Amino acid sequence: MSNADAHSGITHSGIIGRPINRVGGPERVDGTYRYVGDIKIPNVLHTRLVHLDCGRARIHSVDTSAALQMPGVRAILSGKELPASVKRFGPANRDRPILAIDETTFHGEPVAIVAADTVWAAAQGAAAVVVDYQELPGIYTVEDALAPGAALVQDPALRPNSAYKETNILNEWKFGWGAVDSAEADLVVENDYTFPMMTQFAIEPFTYAVEPTSDGITVYSAIQHPNYLQRVIAEFLDMPLSRVRVIAPDPGGAFGGKQHAKFEPLLAYLALRIGRPLRLELTLEESFQAARRTSAQAHIRTGFQRNGTLVFQDVEINYLIGAYEDIAGRLVAKGSYAGGGGPYRIPNVRILARGVFSNTVPSTAMRGFGLPQMNWPVECQIDEAARELGIDPVELRMKNLPEYGEVFMPQDPPADGRWAETLRKGADAIGWGKPLPPGRGRGISMGLKLGPTTGASYAIVRLHGDGSATVLAGTSDMGQGARTVYTQIAAHELGLSPQRIMVVMGDTQGVPFDLQTSASRSAVFMGNAVLRACRDVARQVQELAAEHYKADAVIVEPGTVEVGGQRKTFDQVMTDRFSKVKGEVIGSGSARAEYDETHPLNGRPAFYEVTCTAVEIEVDKETGVMVFHKLVTVADVGRALNSQHVAMQDDGGAIQGLGHTVMEQYFMDDRGRVRNLGALDYRIPTTMDTPRELISLHVENGDGPGPYGAKGAAEGGILAVSPAVAAAVCAATGAMIRELPLTPQRIWEALHT
Amino acid sequence: MSALHYARPESLADAIAILEQYGPGARVLNGGTDLMVRFQKMQVTPEAIVDIKRVRDMSDAIVWDGDSVTIGARVVMTRLIRDERIRRRYPALVDAASTVGSIQIRNRATLAGNICNASPAADTVPPLLVHGATVQLVGSSGSRETPLDGFFLAPGKTARAPDELLVSITIPPHRSPYGAAFGRLTRRHGVDLASINMACAIDAERAVTFAFGAVGPTPITVKDTSGALADHTVSDAQRDAALQALIARTSPISDVRASAAYRSAMLLVIGRRVLAQAQQRRADFDARE
Repeated sequence: MSNADAHSGITHSGIIGRPINRVGGPERVDGTYRYVGDIKIPNVLHTRLVHLDCGRARIHSVDTSAALQMPGVRAILSGKELPASVKRFGPANRDRPILAIDETTFHGEPVAIVAADTVWAAAQGAAAVVVDYQELPGIYTVEDALAPGAALVQDPALRPNSAYKETNILNEWKFGWGAVDSAEADLVVENDYTFPMMTQFAIEPFTYAVEPTSDGITVYSAIQHPNYLQRVIAEFLDMPLSRVRVIAPDPGGAFGGKQHAKFEPLLAYLALRIGRPLRLELTLEESFQAARRTSAQAHIRTGFQRNGTLVFQDVEINYLIGAYEDIAGRLVAKGSYAGGGGPYRIPNVRILARGVFSNTVPSTAMRGFGLPQMNWPVECQIDEAARELGIDPVELRMKNLPEYGEVFMPQDPPADGRWAETLRKGADAIGWGKPLPPGRGRGISMGLKLGPTTGASYAIVRLHGDGSATVLAGTSDMGQGARTVYTQIAAHELGLSPQRIMVVMGDTQGVPFDLQTSASRSAVFMGNAVLRACRDVARQVQELAAEHYKADAVIVEPGTVEVGGQRKTFDQVMTDRFSKVKGEVIGSGSARAEYDETHPLNGRPAFYEVTCTAVEIEVDKETGVMVFHKLVTVADVGRALNSQHVAMQDDGGAIQGLGHTVMEQYFMDDRGRVRNLGALDYRIPTTMDTPRELISLHVENGDGPGPYGAKGAAEGGILAVSPAVAAAVCAATGAMIRELPLTPQRIWEALHT
Repeated sequence: MSALHYARPESLADAIAILEQYGPGARVLNGGTDLMVRFQKMQVTPEAIVDIKRVRDMSDAIVWDGDSVTIGARVVMTRLIRDERIRRRYPALVDAASTVGSIQIRNRATLAGNICNASPAADTVPPLLVHGATVQLVGSSGSRETPLDGFFLAPGKTARAPDELLVSITIPPHRSPYGAAFGRLTRRHGVDLASINMACAIDAERAVTFAFGAVGPTPITVKDTSGALADHTVSDAQRDAALQALIARTSPISDVRASAAYRSAMLLVIGRRVLAQAQQRRADFDARE
């Protein structure tokens, strides 16, 4: 690693990059960490939701009389009883009611909520609520939704200004460049691909509490975007932001599923209505009905020259979303825009992407944000061309990768990394081209995700009178290690040991604004804000030193000032200055990226997250059972601020990617019910399912926009797993499967039926 | 709704009296790894839970009588798996018990519970069936012993009367050479329920018995009458034909775990492997004698 920092000119031989252990790690392991569910609120009532065992229904009436008589039950609210003045909510369009009013629009949409003294009493009460309803046919697939004359999932009145309000299409996005129709290709590969309906599956189920206070309301939620939730609640209740306090302890996993409000508005409304604090902890089964990743179907045509040069990419992709928009507009646009091309130089690209409403579990963000769905067909096409043209898949990809600094999407920044290095590293680590025992196969794939396009992160750093420091940063540490990385930045900039630094997050009353914790943004955006806040502190310490010692002061290295020829640490300066009347130095910093209306996504990405995944697998052809011998991920992270954390992000992304690649999927019946809610029949990889060898490598050229040249690193690991595995299965068995997940049964069917 | 009655009797007689009092409304709590999960999800709503962990005369011992072994109702999977003599004599049962749930679950789950829960996919049941196990039951009208084969009536339903407790399981002695094996198919490598499972035993007289799980409403036991399965010298086609004749007795369905067609096909694939391992173990047994 180079010690010279291209970005700032300072050295970071010390703490930056070092694999220091996770701040908060031991507490998560020994059980002392306080999650939302561990917070005790005096006088709280426990709630349970009432839902119906069907995909869609008309609600005739809700009879709560028997349930209200049950011991411990204090209040019940049904959608039928909601005053018309109660607003709907949503992160983009406010289209979602806090309870189903006349109709349930998906399996698990609550029709009522029961508040009681205990969880058990609430559950008993919920079971005693009698709902008179008529089951209705629903829209559960892309085909159903787009069929002529299909029933409308969403009431047009909920989106009066949409050109698509009389259809089940949320919106259509058309992106591209060049001229696909007149492009001449020697080989055209044309296929259909599907990506399953799956869920984020955070180990911590969705848990909330709401407490009305004398001066406003406090909402407890393991939310990724505390400030976003604060705004949603403020608008929902017509309160000023300053009166809405969101306390967001670090989530026990989130993966995008905890970005946006779900049941916080419902609890807030009921808590204010009955004047009691409320808490709600969803079961794992209910959590499956609260959030999922957007499923997708793609039809794709890809043109190549005989020598492997990519000529055109022509994609139509339908993302099946739930009955409410949530963040789907952004997800479909951003996912399809960059995924259409991938990290390749393609002169002609045409993308048609749709978000399609259905009566299914609400779809929302998940690691990769629409990209895994798109990268799956795009990369499989390249492998198919390699097979058809007789060109090695690594060489075919190499041929089409842009050089560093080359413009490969006309309206976007040029390639910001040495991506051939990423691919080469992956190929070398997997032993590409070396002989394999029979039954085994290798596959390799790349992936590209646009970094955040807009953003706003603010940080405050307080250097205390004893030389220790508190960092206030509104990011959510959901397992990615944001606390650790900010600790490292502050430790470096202020010349302190990490033990002297405390990072405070997750309380909108004291912590400044962060737009959101998503899009692999936090190391870059909040990282820069923290860095700038530290440098603001340093500048003030310098001034303060000059004033206090009455001599010229100059910062000679981070955390050290030279005054009148003497070197003093910040610690010494603070102690000297604040020995009598106490005090502290407060620095602030921010990082913003503004809206750009001229860009198709209203903003150019801050960086590209580019990855390579390579696998070696073995298939038991008689059963379809697969064994992963080795998996390699390579991430171009610019600069790894903490090499251990980057590796853990990539390992985690790869394992999570194996989930949707080989086992994870919702099974729905023809009544729109999810048949495998919960952990028993919705399988995710266990440690026994992880590759026998799992290797995460980095490319570090210090060429990112974040602190010390960092780029984001949270999502790359998941992008390229599926196509790499499918290629490996094809190499091992001869069967190319274009429908995920590649379960043993599906592989067996491909080989035997 | 009436309140739930929780009882923790200390004698078998008291336990049976409570079971008799509540009838089908009572549920027996042993390891609790099936019951508590379903109870919390309100999939079962018992009037009484009868916790038998403190019942003095419910044994947690593995008792040998010559070559016959009796396993008490309180014996957990972990204990069974670690028992050296069980490991030597009944590797198929050990292999099956080792696949039940996770380590934590096996520390609680009992062999008796795995039987009484009557899941069609219970992993320990096929080896017990091929070993010809019997179960001992005690009820208000006395005690009885019945073969495990025939004990299962439907998913979740056994021939145990509401006022009876299964107190032990007995595996009869087997003349050597004897070989048995267990096999299963799952959706993932880690903790999982079986999409299909099976056991096969080949006895001293070269009689071959298979028991299949998760391919019908109850585990089923089938005996090979062709003679082709114990014989190393028959052709693959003859062996497969004999296996298919046994598999024809199953009735797999399609569900979220597997399709009927996949299950049927895997019965043959896993059947061949399990048979081969049983043959090998029998041959090794021969060699040792």
